[in-house]
Amino acid sequence: MRRLLAVAAVALAFPGAAFAHASLTGTTPPTQSRIATAPRAIVLRFDQTVTITPRAIEVFSASGTKLSGPATTNGDGRVVSASVAGLRRGQAYTVRWRATSSDGHTGSGVYTFGIGIAPPPPTEAFGSTGPTWTDDVARWAFFVALALLIGTTGLRLLVLREPIPLRLSNRLYGLTAVGGIAVLNVGIAAFVMRAADALQVPFVDLLYGDLSPLATKTRVGVAFVAMTLGYAAVTALVLLAWILDRPRLLWPAFVVGIGFATGLSLSGHQGVEPNSTFLTELADWLHLVAAILWVGGLVALATCVWPLAPELRRRAFLGFSRVATVLVAVLVLAGTYLSIARLASVSELWSTSYGQALLVKIAIVCVALAWGAVHHFFVRPRLERGEDAPRGVRRSLIGESAIAILVLLLAAVLVNARPPAVEPAAGVRAGASQ
Amino acid sequence: MAPRAELVHWAFAAGFLLLGLILLAEVIVGSEVFAMRPWRLYLWPSLAFGIGVLLWPVAVFFTNSTLHMLAHGSWAEVAMLAGAVELALVRGKLKSRWWTLSLCFTLLVSSAAFLIHEQNPWFFSRSAFLHHAIGWTLLVAAIFPLGQALQPRKALWGAGFALTWVVLAVMLFCDRDVAPIFGHLSRFAGGGQ
Repeated sequence: MRRLLAVAAVALAFPGAAFAHASLTGTTPPTQSRIATAPRAIVLRFDQTVTITPRAIEVFSASGTKLSGPATTNGDGRVVSASVAGLRRGQAYTVRWRATSSDGHTGSGVYTFGIGIAPPPPTEAFGSTGPTWTDDVARWAFFVALALLIGTTGLRLLVLREPIPLRLSNRLYGLTAVGGIAVLNVGIAAFVMRAADALQVPFVDLLYGDLSPLATKTRVGVAFVAMTLGYAAVTALVLLAWILDRPRLLWPAFVVGIGFATGLSLSGHQGVEPNSTFLTELADWLHLVAAILWVGGLVALATCVWPLAPELRRRAFLGFSRVATVLVAVLVLAGTYLSIARLASVSELWSTSYGQALLVKIAIVCVALAWGAVHHFFVRPRLERGEDAPRGVRRSLIGESAIAILVLLLAAVLVNARPPAVEPAAGVRAGASQ
Repeated sequence: MAPRAELVHWAFAAGFLLLGLILLAEVIVGSEVFAMRPWRLYLWPSLAFGIGVLLWPVAVFFTNSTLHMLAHGSWAEVAMLAGAVELALVRGKLKSRWWTLSLCFTLLVSSAAFLIHEQNPWFFSRSAFLHHAIGWTLLVAAIFPLGQALQPRKALWGAGFALTWVVLAVMLFCDRDVAPIFGHLSRFAGGGQ
């Protein structure tokens, strides 16, 4: 025991070779910068000594041509540089780096810069493939989680109103909290997946990958930071509302939750399209908010109100029906406006992959609307007359919820896809002219 | 923009120290005396909840490695949830004493995050040593909430749990190699001149 304590004391008194692993503190040219003249070398500065291989810095043109020479370390081993040649004005370039800290860990990163032009974000650096089906699934999971968080809160505040039975209240809080926790976790997973695509390194190296340029210099990253903080606050408010019996705290949670959903509109393709305006961004946000309120409300109605509060079924169904009518109107109007803005001609609906996905989404939305219409025109009048709800309404609500969740999947695919009308930005991804 | 890493470590170490001292006070005076002022019962769960919420900015602003972002994120989440569960127990929203096991889960997750995100051996550096020590301390300390769930009246478990946070606070205070505390600066340490 004494020996162990002595070893511990020595270890505390005399630190070893390093702390954690090396972090990039600066670059020349600066990350995501637009510079006037072509640099002669790429210089990376670290906060501690690193060891490198000759391929520690690689500079690529848009077409994938490697333009950098062998990398070398300077001075005390904290500066790494590589000469570059053949860089031209009006082009953007990708810098990929790898450096091993004195702890043996290899950190890596990617950034872009433009000569005379604004560079694209690192998520569009040369070598990255862009969103894949896994990103679509992650975004879908994010939408569903958001629907549980915001939609359930919306149903409670706008339709049910306090007081409500304790069992129902607890289940609604539970569903909302699950949504909040899922939003945070899925958001982190989605960001790491985008980072993995941008960095293009094996999983082990990804663990030490520098995500700073992605978190601070891309729309996806900034949205990730803002939304994580926002939804952490929303989840905390929901938990406090439950613990302290203060349903009023749900109002700020609801408002903040809806507000931070703008992050999705601003970080998806909508935010970077050349024809993007304040109106299209507003329409995108309204489209999303209406969808998550509708889907989340349906799920909460079917899984919480119907089984736990029979005495509230009538009030909840009629109230939600009124709210859903408004939501569906907003959904359809905003969706139609966005379709017109994104497609140059009607023929693009069937001649482009984006249009085809949109057609499939519209078809499924029509099924969901028809399902909702059955509820509206057959169930609602009976409830308004004071009659009992017909049998099978709960199953029908679950069915409509399932269809609506499927719509969210198509929405996720479309958000990650680029509309045909959008020309590729003057970027570094393969395809731009050298 | 982001504050230096050691400042953040010290801030959370101060939070852990306060947490440990509150818990220790309850152990010393006894639960009955401590509960004579009901607000006291809210102190440490609120602090744990607050620490969890405040760890979220750390998770998203310190992104120079994926592993650190994931570790900070997992601590934020489990601390926030554990604080919420303890607050709910104090408020009577949750009744079963088995909910105390959520603390056990929190300590195990935190331990795993510490041990996984520290990839260096014990004696590589002061921070590596302390990361391992913190990870194993958290792992061993998971027995205290388990004991509290099984034997709620036995003071040993409460005392062990309280001292765990005091020990963790001390270790976290000296966790950075660049922090001029309990040692000299390494010539390789980040930011050290």
